[in-house]
Amino acid sequence: MMIDRTSIPADTKYLTPASIAAIAVVAVALVMLPFVWDNRFYISLINEMLIFGLLAMSLDVLLGYTGLLSFMHNAYLGIGAYVVGLFLIHISPTSIWFAALVGIAATSLIALPVGWVQVRTGGLAFALLTLAFGMMFHTVVWKWYSLTGGDDGLMGVPTPEVHLFGWSLGTTGDPKVMYLTTVVVVGLCYLLTRRIIHSPFGSVLEAIRENEDRAAFVGINVRRYKLYGWMLACMLASIAGALFILYKGYIGPTTMSAFSGAGVLMMVLLGGMGTLWGPLIGAVIFIYISDYISTMTEHWEIYLGLVVILLVLFLPTGFVGIGDHLKRFLKRKG
Amino acid sequence: MEEFLCTEDLCRHFGGVMATNKVCIDIEANGLRSIIGPNGAGKTTFINVVTGRLPASSGKVTFRGRDITNKPTHKLVKMGICRTFQITSIFQNLTVFENVRIAKQARLGGSLRVFSARKSLKAVTEQTWAILERLELQDLADQPAKNLAYGDQRVLEVAIALAGEPQILFLDEPTAGMSPAETQHISELIRGLADEISVVLVEHDMDLVMSISDVISVLHYGSIIAEGKPEEIQNNEMVREAYLGKEE
Amino acid sequence: MGGVSTAIDITLNSLVLGGVFLIVAIGLNIIYGLSRVMNLAHGSLYALGAYSGYTLVSTGLNFFVALLLAPLLVGVAGLLIERTVIAPMRSRSIVYTLILTYGLMFFIDGLIKYTWGNEPRFIDLPAFMRETLPILGTHYPVFRLMTLLITAVVMAGLMLFLSRTKTGMTLRASSTIPEMVSCLGVNMKYVHIGAFVLGSVLAGIAGIIAGPLTTIDPIMGHEMLISSFVVIVIGGLGSLRGAVIAALLIGAVQTLAEFFITDLAMVIVYMLMAIILAIKPRGILGEGKFE
Repeated sequence: MMIDRTSIPADTKYLTPASIAAIAVVAVALVMLPFVWDNRFYISLINEMLIFGLLAMSLDVLLGYTGLLSFMHNAYLGIGAYVVGLFLIHISPTSIWFAALVGIAATSLIALPVGWVQVRTGGLAFALLTLAFGMMFHTVVWKWYSLTGGDDGLMGVPTPEVHLFGWSLGTTGDPKVMYLTTVVVVGLCYLLTRRIIHSPFGSVLEAIRENEDRAAFVGINVRRYKLYGWMLACMLASIAGALFILYKGYIGPTTMSAFSGAGVLMMVLLGGMGTLWGPLIGAVIFIYISDYISTMTEHWEIYLGLVVILLVLFLPTGFVGIGDHLKRFLKRKG
Repeated sequence: MEEFLCTEDLCRHFGGVMATNKVCIDIEANGLRSIIGPNGAGKTTFINVVTGRLPASSGKVTFRGRDITNKPTHKLVKMGICRTFQITSIFQNLTVFENVRIAKQARLGGSLRVFSARKSLKAVTEQTWAILERLELQDLADQPAKNLAYGDQRVLEVAIALAGEPQILFLDEPTAGMSPAETQHISELIRGLADEISVVLVEHDMDLVMSISDVISVLHYGSIIAEGKPEEIQNNEMVREAYLGKEE
Repeated sequence: MGGVSTAIDITLNSLVLGGVFLIVAIGLNIIYGLSRVMNLAHGSLYALGAYSGYTLVSTGLNFFVALLLAPLLVGVAGLLIERTVIAPMRSRSIVYTLILTYGLMFFIDGLIKYTWGNEPRFIDLPAFMRETLPILGTHYPVFRLMTLLITAVVMAGLMLFLSRTKTGMTLRASSTIPEMVSCLGVNMKYVHIGAFVLGSVLAGIAGIIAGPLTTIDPIMGHEMLISSFVVIVIGGLGSLRGAVIAALLIGAVQTLAEFFITDLAMVIVYMLMAIILAIKPRGILGEGKFE
């Protein structure tokens, strides 16, 4: 048998014709939506789904690809959002892209030392520390009234104009403009992350997820690459944060609470970890359901907890896994 | 002659138990050195300390004259010190090809390429195929490692270690749990490797050890009690006592 | 004069706080050390201990009877949890157990809010415990001294149990070499159950003795969970002695920080944790030394 020595068997390809087609259809549908269906409520809801989808996807980079658990990834969305908000309020109310860059840079500066300590401690302590540091950030924004507005949150964030290649779309106060901005940014982030995951760098993250010990024994500096994975995830989360503050015009400490953190984790679980697009779907399901349930019951903590428990026990592969279960089920029947 | 891999008074204790006790060993740059000893003699601990999996309590390990005691694992691997594990340690959910490829990539570099495809690392891909062919795993290349038969998984583990281009390769009970045919296959493989690089074999199968080793070291309660050619070890009184207990 | 009494106040407060941290953290560490489960709902069990103590006392029961009963109730809850959701997770990666117990945390917190509401509650103490006792120029509340005493009794009992009884020794052995212990005919299943129940009982004890110290509210569990993480990570995961050192350290640092800067005291604690972990990533005494 001849072997093509330049090819990789069963390679996980960046883009296959089928995935290009699927992405194109979804992209066109999302972009066209506000023009054919002018429902402000649903456009805003989908906007929120996309922002949290990006956050869930960034957590998937950590959980599904690097095998590291972060309980409060929302903290890094929060930091990004606060920084962008403060920048727009105090420094420059119009430079939206520059504000976003500052947000990413500031979040990275904070995430770097935290991540450095976390990766040194090993897998379990890493997870516990994400919770501890996350709570710390929550306390800081809650108690530092003069800067963050404390419990009242950061209010009065300006709604700058969105310029794209010198062409003004309108202000972020317009739901349609904000929605289109979100679609473009989240879409680009998805493609970029997908590219990174399928690169040689991505394969290192996968190796660490599969077997940390073995990864070290093939010569991988495990701590360093875990830190890279962490930084990538935190930067993506801060982009979600920038979109969040522009979309809401407001952020309060609840966004950075443990409860919200559990929500993000559940989006990843619902969608199925290690797929990138799964958590995006997970965010859509989660936000739709939570929007629905929270109007019906005030005790929705109980249901959130219950659903997490049931998911882990019976459907650890999430929504994506249902497909595989069905396939296996049909095979057995057929 | 330049020293290859040496330990000087290497110790490792767990609480009060001396698992490795003042071991001095001098391993040659090629050939097959076996380390044998009764259960609990500290063979795996010794390998763990030398390969950086466990920190040494005291003593020194040198490689080509350089002190490598307690260096991080990934640095030792880059220097050419590779190993396999007693309990199969592979990347279960990755394909056989990816298992070897990632090791090759870690060796040759390119892990920081974030925007290119994996196959763009041409040398990595080609050399991965070469290793798979050498170990006759090429037909299984697209299978997830967890689907492999146990014996094939053990071979895959050797393949992963070889991808690191070792100068010295530690094999921790490579034949454990293998059928006689599989054992035969892997012992030929080990012997072949020992002609190119230095192989250190920890093994329980005495027939295998006696038939393929160049030099044997015997560990007992963490210390080396004998060292020599297979026939010398077979006739050594202390070794017999260690295995069979002293006759009263 | 004022300086001395303040210093004594701070010292005693540090010990009281450290003691509560210790009981909660030791419970977590026992469960982790014996069954490799990290229970994120541990703080919620602590809150459950406080709330059930509150309910028992408010039905007219003597405080000390409640002190015995409430932890038992939490122990029963622990048993139920272990059998229904923890046991099926044994063979799976610890990531799943973490996520599952995280869900459990919200579930129990939700139930607590559903049962007792959001308003803070206070445990009615017997009259003599509401007095203060003059110690070296300061008047120190009796119930705080009782807390200290109870902590000491619990810890002494635990140490004696682990070092002197046969069951205790078996438990310690099974944390280091589970294979060997199960060869000796000990069913590891019962070790796992026992560890979880014991840990839950300890959380319950901490809950009821902490009740009078702080207010009882639904988020008390979260705060305690995080503090006990800080303690066990600094002390070394699974290390009992490490937990003792770390609990006293954190108790002291937090008391001092709260005395001097009030609002952002926790930030100081986290900074200290970060510094210790930067120097000793596996904690002060290293991981997994169950002694």
